[in-house]
Amino acid sequence: MRDDEILIGSLMEDTWLTLEQVSAACAVEPEWLLRHIEEGLFPHADSVAGVWRFSAVSILRARRMRQLERDFEATPELAALMADLLEEVDALRTRLRCAGLP
Amino acid sequence: MQFKDYYQILGVPRDATAEDIKKSFRKLARKYHPDVSKEPDAELRMQEINEANTVLSDPEKRAAYDQLGQGFSPGQEFHPPPGWDAGFEFSGRGFSPHEAAGFSDFFAELFGRMGGGAHGFHTQGRGGEDHHAKVLLDLEDSFTGAVRQLTLRVPQFDASGRMTLSTRTLNVKIPKGVRAGQIIRLAGQGAPGAKGHPSGDLLLEVEFKSHPRLRAQGADLHLTLPVTPWEAVLGAIVPVELLDSTLKVRIPEGTQSGRQLRVRGKGIPSNPPGDLLLDIQVVLPPANTPKARQLYETMAQELAFDPRRNGKG
Repeated sequence: MRDDEILIGSLMEDTWLTLEQVSAACAVEPEWLLRHIEEGLFPHADSVAGVWRFSAVSILRARRMRQLERDFEATPELAALMADLLEEVDALRTRLRCAGLP
Repeated sequence: MQFKDYYQILGVPRDATAEDIKKSFRKLARKYHPDVSKEPDAELRMQEINEANTVLSDPEKRAAYDQLGQGFSPGQEFHPPPGWDAGFEFSGRGFSPHEAAGFSDFFAELFGRMGGGAHGFHTQGRGGEDHHAKVLLDLEDSFTGAVRQLTLRVPQFDASGRMTLSTRTLNVKIPKGVRAGQIIRLAGQGAPGAKGHPSGDLLLEVEFKSHPRLRAQGADLHLTLPVTPWEAVLGAIVPVELLDSTLKVRIPEGTQSGRQLRVRGKGIPSNPPGDLLLDIQVVLPPANTPKARQLYETMAQELAFDPRRNGKG
């Protein structure tokens, strides 16, 4: 393994993740992702000339939804609703933190 | 390697039904859900619970575990006898490499063989898959573009499809100006591809450790800046210590406590750079000497000021 080398990373801009990258990172089938997009449960996806692109927050959302569906047998709609709420909580927690509150 | 008592982890008796196990798992999964749990070590407990459930919810894995684990107590030194899994045919649901990275060595030793095929992580006739990991950086790393040593736990599959967990250490140059939530891509550092096919990439999701003074929001940085009453009232130029430099910031005359000053381009040095947002906090000097008391008394007598009358109470 090339451990001693210094690896130079490139920064992926938002909406640069492909369908395959998101599904591999979350261990979901690409079809699972596509089905959720079609049902409007995945607002972080954007289609550019027929190719799906994802923002970095997609990974977290896909992972959360998949876990909720699997661990609690949640319906996709319920998992999406819960993911919406968790994203809202994340945003509020960030605002609290920026306001210097614990 | 230490023996893990999956029944104890899920809090169920050894003769628990599948329904009991499912119920108990859900109860614990709710309690230790990393997004909402207030329990310390919620993330670690959740991994343990997931691991226990992966084994006990699968009849084949459970049967193998029961046979093997007879007479062992948790934490006891344990080595599976060679060929212990002969006679078991594992066809149940697998687990993802992402999950497996959080599982124990005990699990990997026992059930590693089953991970690969079931979920198709093998790279047959195509490029390797991308791996994904979260990295916790200091805010300073984004300013300096430092080289950081990262240690990742990665599942690997050998030629026969058996999974082992190995620790991998990487030296990564952190791109200057990186923000939380962004992804650093290390080309070719993911899973190896099939012969003649390229390896996958390693995608690192960036998160920052909390900083004692600075708080990042996107590319913007927030900082609470304490000032004296006279600096706020009369205006002043005050030094502000940042991560890589000290700025001189002008406090405009008549700045009230709680006001926010924006210093453009002095946030995280991304492209374009973020702003520095200073939350002004006026701090009153204590009246702990006769001189200080006298000054406050003079103000009380000389200044006709009632903040409540101005509707600012």
